[in-house]
Parts: sequence; C-alpha cells; structure tokens
Amino acid sequence: MILPAARSALVAALLLGAAAPASRADPQVDYLLHCSGCHMPDGSGLDQVVPTLHEVIGRIVAEPEGRAYIVRVPGVSQAPISDEKLTDVINWMLAEFSSETLPDDFEPFTVSEVGRSRSQLLADPLKLRAELFPDY
Amino acid sequence: MKPNDLIEHGYIWLDDQARHSARLLARLISRRSFLGRLGAMFAGAAVLPLLPVARALAQEPPQEVGDTQTCEYWRYCALGGTLCACCGGSVTSCPPGSELSPITWVGTCHNPADDRDYLISYNDCCGKVTCRRCSCHGSEREKPVYFPSKSSNILWCFGTEARTYHCTVAGILGEATDLGK
Repeated sequence: MILPAARSALVAALLLGAAAPASRADPQVDYLLHCSGCHMPDGSGLDQVVPTLHEVIGRIVAEPEGRAYIVRVPGVSQAPISDEKLTDVINWMLAEFSSETLPDDFEPFTVSEVGRSRSQLLADPLKLRAELFPDY
Repeated sequence: MKPNDLIEHGYIWLDDQARHSARLLARLISRRSFLGRLGAMFAGAAVLPLLPVARALAQEPPQEVGDTQTCEYWRYCALGGTLCACCGGSVTSCPPGSELSPITWVGTCHNPADDRDYLISYNDCCGKVTCRRCSCHGSEREKPVYFPSKSSNILWCFGTEARTYHCTVAGILGEATDLGK
C-alpha cells in the first residue's frame, strides 16, 4: 500500500511533469515564478502557515468582495507583472485548483477588473479576511 | 634482448604507468569528498520523494555542465547564501541533520548547456548552524529586501521546525520561456 504522503508527492510530481514544458505567455510559468514559492507548485499551501488555493478560493470569488480580495491581497496585487498577465494567472489558478467550487455563474476576471482592484491598497489583509471569510 | 626479458620489461612499464595514474587520481580526488557526494546522493535520492517540495526539486533539464560546488554553477545565478553542495548535501538535497524549508522564492537562470532559461527554486536548509563554506552572492533578476518575495537576501526558513539558516539548494521547477515581464 502506498503511503498518503508518498502518494501526494507522486501525484504532484506527475502533475508538474505533465505540464513542465511551458510555452510563452503560459500563466503556469508566472504562477510558478511569482506564487509557488509560498503556495507550493501544486497550490496546496502549508498548513497553519500559507493558505491553500484548493477549493476555498472558488467559494470566495462567489461574492464581489471576495473577487476584489483575491486581487488585492498583497502577494497578488504586488506581483511584478502586468494587469494582463496577472489576470491570466488568476483565471488559470481558479480553473486549476478550484474549478469544482466555482459558482455556476462565475465570470472570469477581466483585465480592467484586476487593474482596478489591485490599485486599491489592502493595508490589513488578515483583518479583512477574518471579517469576510472566517473559515479560510 | 630475449623475448622473456622483453615481456618482463613490458610488465614493469605497465606497472609504472598504472602506479603513476593511481597516484595522480588520488591527488586530484579526495576520498572524503567522494564519499560525501556519494552519501549525499543516496540520502537525497531516498528522502526527496517524500518531501513536500519534492516536485520542485525533481525536475531536471535535459543537460547541464559545471561544478555544483562553485558559485559560478549556472543554477546559482541568484543564490545568496552558502551552497549545500559544499556542506555535505547536494545541489538539491540538504545536508544530514538540516531540514528543507518548503517555502521559498523562485528565480530564473540561464542554462548554458542548452541555451534555455529555467525556473529555479532556492530552498533554504534549516535547523543547523550556518555552514561557512562556499558563500555566494548571485543576484540575477532578484530584488532588494523591500521586495521580499523576490529577494535572495531573505532567510527563507519558514514552515520548518527551526529557523536557523544552514545553506541553500537550487532545484529546477521547469523551463521558463516567459520571464514574467
């Protein structure tokens, strides 16, 4: 019987291996470069330290405040990439990690929406997160 | 000269050549460093698949050249710290007794062997006193500490049992055809 930890590592390795040859303008490359250092290449995060990107963010974007929060959180809004690339990364991330929890009427993020939200400084992300999504 | 003498001289010449080669090899390669690298290779191979960032360190480029114990090795282009490869570990594995930090920052380096760019994950190994060997200051495409997620000067011992910095490894996440402009 394969151990759960080994199985997870194997699945993750297979996932990365399958997607390894990244092409130009591939949002996964930007995800790996700007997000995976903390959220891990497979988006799993780190228990008690870094929030997971699996499932829960699909529910967060169901509300307008949640859509704005996802973009305004400092790691996202301050990523050194253009609004266009950031929009691609966010939409890729939602489809890759949280497709099963996205609302039925979900509309992908647009460049103008991302540009508008990332310009609004979020000085205390933990406080806002606790107010909006106490379970996250 | 008799045929038997000729053969005898031939054996002596061969012995001399073999002795000379063995001594030359012994001078160039230290037994301790060889055993260290061999041990690190086996230990790393056994432990890596179980680590949470195993996927980050499992991706290898098609080909590469260089000495992993020098700062000039291509993967270290943005590595600020000491090389685990000089401290009993390897380019992708921590020395025994230290713990790989799962949280890190990701940079890009150019591989001269295949003329391509790769995403490099600079994971720190933590929980032991700082290794003082092979201190490097790579800074290609890294940013000042006021931009912490892209800084090689941050001590990335997060999510580990102990926060003491020991050394840094450089794993490949994949090919980077887009440098995140």
